[in-house]
Amino acid sequence: MVTLTIDDKQVSVEKDATIYDAAKAAGVNIPILCHDKKLKPFGACRMCLVEVEQMKGRLIPACTTPVTEGMIVRSSTPPVEKARKLVLELLMLNHPLDCPVCDKGGDCELQNLAYDHKVNSNRLADEKFHHEIDYNNPLIERDQNRCVLCGKCVRICDEIVARGALTFISRGIETTIGTEFDGPLSCEFCGSCISVCPVGALLARPFKFKSRFWAMTKKKSVCGYCGTGCNVTLGVKDNKVLTTVYDENQGFHNGQLCVRGRFGYQFISSDKRLKTPLIRKNDQLVEAGWDEALALVAERLKGAGSAAAALATPRMTNEELVLLKQLMTQQVGSQNIDHSAGYGHAAVSEGLGKSLGVAASSATILDIQKSDLILAIKTDVYETHPVVGFEINMAVKNKGIKLQIISDKRGKLSRLPGANLLLNKPGSDVALLNAVAKVLLDENLAVTPATPELAAALNDFTPEKVAELTGVAADAIRDLARAYAAAEKAIILFTSGLAYPGADAQLAHAAANLAILGGKLGKEGSGILALQEKNNSQGALDVGFVPGQGGLDAQQILAGCSAGSIKTLLIAGENPVVSYPAQAQVKKALDAVEFLVVADLFLTETAQMADVVLPVCSYAEKAGTFTATDRRVQKISAAIPAVGQSKPEFQVYGELISLLGGQPAATQAEAFAQIAAYAGISYAELGEGGAFAAVKLQPVQVVPKVVTVAVDAGKFALLTGAALYHCGTMSLYGEGTVSVCGEAYVEISRNDAAKMNISEGAEVKLTSSTGTVSVKARISPRMSEGVAFAPYHFAEASINTVWSGAAVTGVTISK
Amino acid sequence: MSEAVATTETTEVEEPVIDLALAEEVIQKYKDIPGNLMPVLQGIQDAYGYVPRITVDYVAERLNVYPSQIYGVLTFYAQFHLKPRGKFIIRVCMGTACHVLGAERIKESFYDRIGIGHAETTPDRRFTFELVACLGACGMAPLSMVNDETYGKMTVQKVDEIIKEYSSLPI
Repeated sequence: MVTLTIDDKQVSVEKDATIYDAAKAAGVNIPILCHDKKLKPFGACRMCLVEVEQMKGRLIPACTTPVTEGMIVRSSTPPVEKARKLVLELLMLNHPLDCPVCDKGGDCELQNLAYDHKVNSNRLADEKFHHEIDYNNPLIERDQNRCVLCGKCVRICDEIVARGALTFISRGIETTIGTEFDGPLSCEFCGSCISVCPVGALLARPFKFKSRFWAMTKKKSVCGYCGTGCNVTLGVKDNKVLTTVYDENQGFHNGQLCVRGRFGYQFISSDKRLKTPLIRKNDQLVEAGWDEALALVAERLKGAGSAAAALATPRMTNEELVLLKQLMTQQVGSQNIDHSAGYGHAAVSEGLGKSLGVAASSATILDIQKSDLILAIKTDVYETHPVVGFEINMAVKNKGIKLQIISDKRGKLSRLPGANLLLNKPGSDVALLNAVAKVLLDENLAVTPATPELAAALNDFTPEKVAELTGVAADAIRDLARAYAAAEKAIILFTSGLAYPGADAQLAHAAANLAILGGKLGKEGSGILALQEKNNSQGALDVGFVPGQGGLDAQQILAGCSAGSIKTLLIAGENPVVSYPAQAQVKKALDAVEFLVVADLFLTETAQMADVVLPVCSYAEKAGTFTATDRRVQKISAAIPAVGQSKPEFQVYGELISLLGGQPAATQAEAFAQIAAYAGISYAELGEGGAFAAVKLQPVQVVPKVVTVAVDAGKFALLTGAALYHCGTMSLYGEGTVSVCGEAYVEISRNDAAKMNISEGAEVKLTSSTGTVSVKARISPRMSEGVAFAPYHFAEASINTVWSGAAVTGVTISK
Repeated sequence: MSEAVATTETTEVEEPVIDLALAEEVIQKYKDIPGNLMPVLQGIQDAYGYVPRITVDYVAERLNVYPSQIYGVLTFYAQFHLKPRGKFIIRVCMGTACHVLGAERIKESFYDRIGIGHAETTPDRRFTFELVACLGACGMAPLSMVNDETYGKMTVQKVDEIIKEYSSLPI
């Protein structure tokens, strides 16, 4: 620790702190434009000049100067104030004073500093800039005329996002921020650059002229897309969510968001939201009142027993899931409840459930930056959980944490410095992981001895034996095993969800075996972290929204509908017609079931088939808790009132329970208290950042079953998954995400494209044994020859017409 | 006026077909050296005479550097050129000493003969013309250079001779 004095206040800080950090700790406000606590010091704006007793004769930039013992700093002497005023005059010399029409007005750091320093005139005169404003993309407006060259956008895009879309161009007075060859912005549209821009040079186009900053109320919430559990602040005016507002102090991620979190909010206040319940009359869905709709549903559910079933989305709050589970299991008497098409949670529910003794991850997202080695399996985290990807990027770049990747396609992750990618053939993941485990045993690297069963089973998986099957050289497998064993702390990541049929229970077993054998469980910065698809995937498992004793799973429920044994199906928020595999079978089941109830925000493809549609609320309109993928339980509260006549599902299922003679939990707190997994967490005391639910590990070595997937010669191995811009099918109602990724596509390698003479954006047909679908071709350097990747979100060209749930599907691609 | 139009037209030099093997050769030479971006870009400029756009994407991929970052470097340093250049680079010094001794007339003479202005290239890519601030040999003012050859005490007659000399060389 170093002790110094700032404005007569004594403060002790870490020895690598800067004067700016120390001032902050001392409660002294030093004005600055180019600083963000997530970014490395840069020293661009010169607003933070201070006087230092020991460095007399010149002014010292506080943000880049390290503290020294006994330093005496003065932050606002007349020379300092004079210098700052000059800096502001210089900045405003070319900066247009168009504050009345600038969206940043009221939230602009330059405006605030000019006001604070009373810069009401300028001693200098020069022409304003005349740069063309970039309107080339639908989300990010770039107005270089307003830029103050603080470089925060350039730095965040490199240091955190690792995209590097922006850079300083030219030099001197001609310097601008731009892209290569001044082309249009080609990036992920996460909007991180907008979030840190101190002025109005980078603006969110969907928010243009929507509201003055001060006219909005800022409501804190938790993002409703993926399982990362990012905290968001919603900008609300006239009961509408108009934008997301950046707060660098929010969440473990310091306000960092991805494209979905920042730009996918429009679904909340979308015109397409269902406003009233709908009841099918004469084969038409017509508007109805809640009483009529609920009475009808209650009548169908009453005494239905195991002829009823429910499929829920893990986007519902824990408390809503508790009530829906109570409704089904206690009032209706059916154990047929499930979510995520059944297989979508198997990696965690069955996989980790058996291997770790608890259906949850052993590590948290916070462990990533405390680890020595990250092993990412079959996931391009940047695409599936972008903010976790940012964490990995920072771990690798700032802390030198090693990154090992096992994946069937290349990705942004594999471009991080020092990343080692084992590119395996599709469907060979479990065999590859087994081979790594085998090396741990053979080279005496295992900390925990293998059970005889596992040891015997692994005999078939020597690196040499799997080299052909996996396409990975034996030596590379050995090196990976040695690196994993050598790391004091190592964290394994894999994805789990509807989108990732290949990430199944067997993969989880194989991954868990590595952690068990390698002795990586139960310590900080180490273990297993399953990255689950939806914002409350972990909560759905903790609540136990899975088939009860003798109950049917999701696939069996749909089969039961087709066979006639399930007569009433309640679908809460899921959209199986698009997101479940084998569309023809799903449609057949939903056609066959006598009575279909769908509770959703929108009239989805599934809701269109329903007999009763119940309009329910988005996360912005309700209270409750979500559990992030690492078992962080976080509380949300309503930011806006319910849209139309929609109701929170907590209320809907509560009323149904009452109608069927039961006693629902009266409050969210009461329902929360019923969740055994969260014993020890008080609903009332859950604050910002939430609380981690305890994970008690009882590791067991489970022998994974290895199923080899064979794709016929001449066919492509089609992998399905999620696109960076989407999560499930809900993001298709977020205009922002749709505006940059609105159509189904298939990614193929350059060589395959050349062979088939397919150009970028060309319409191609994917044909499998179950059907054909037309999508746009994308030529991607990350694909290997013979491998294709298609995201599953898009209803218009739904990939589940050709995909039946297999990890790898053989398809032909034709023009 | 017609001259001005002619000048603009001459700057539209068609980009030749780029053989990336040359770029790969340069990358091979420096690929394991930290801080290799500058020598790689300089090598590429030597190989192609300028830095073609396609090589920027190629270097970005091979060295795992953002294309934007490369563009930033290329635009920061005056030594890099993003457009095809002539075989013979004519530099006319406009520094103080040269100015006093008539650099303006030398500039005009070159313009009269090859019809291109500052930082422009003839369509046949024989000549690129540049005005520079000082070549550092004021004793020889007014001074011009063609590639690495220096021509001191320039006169209008010498301009004719230079153009004649370099026009007869193969390109």
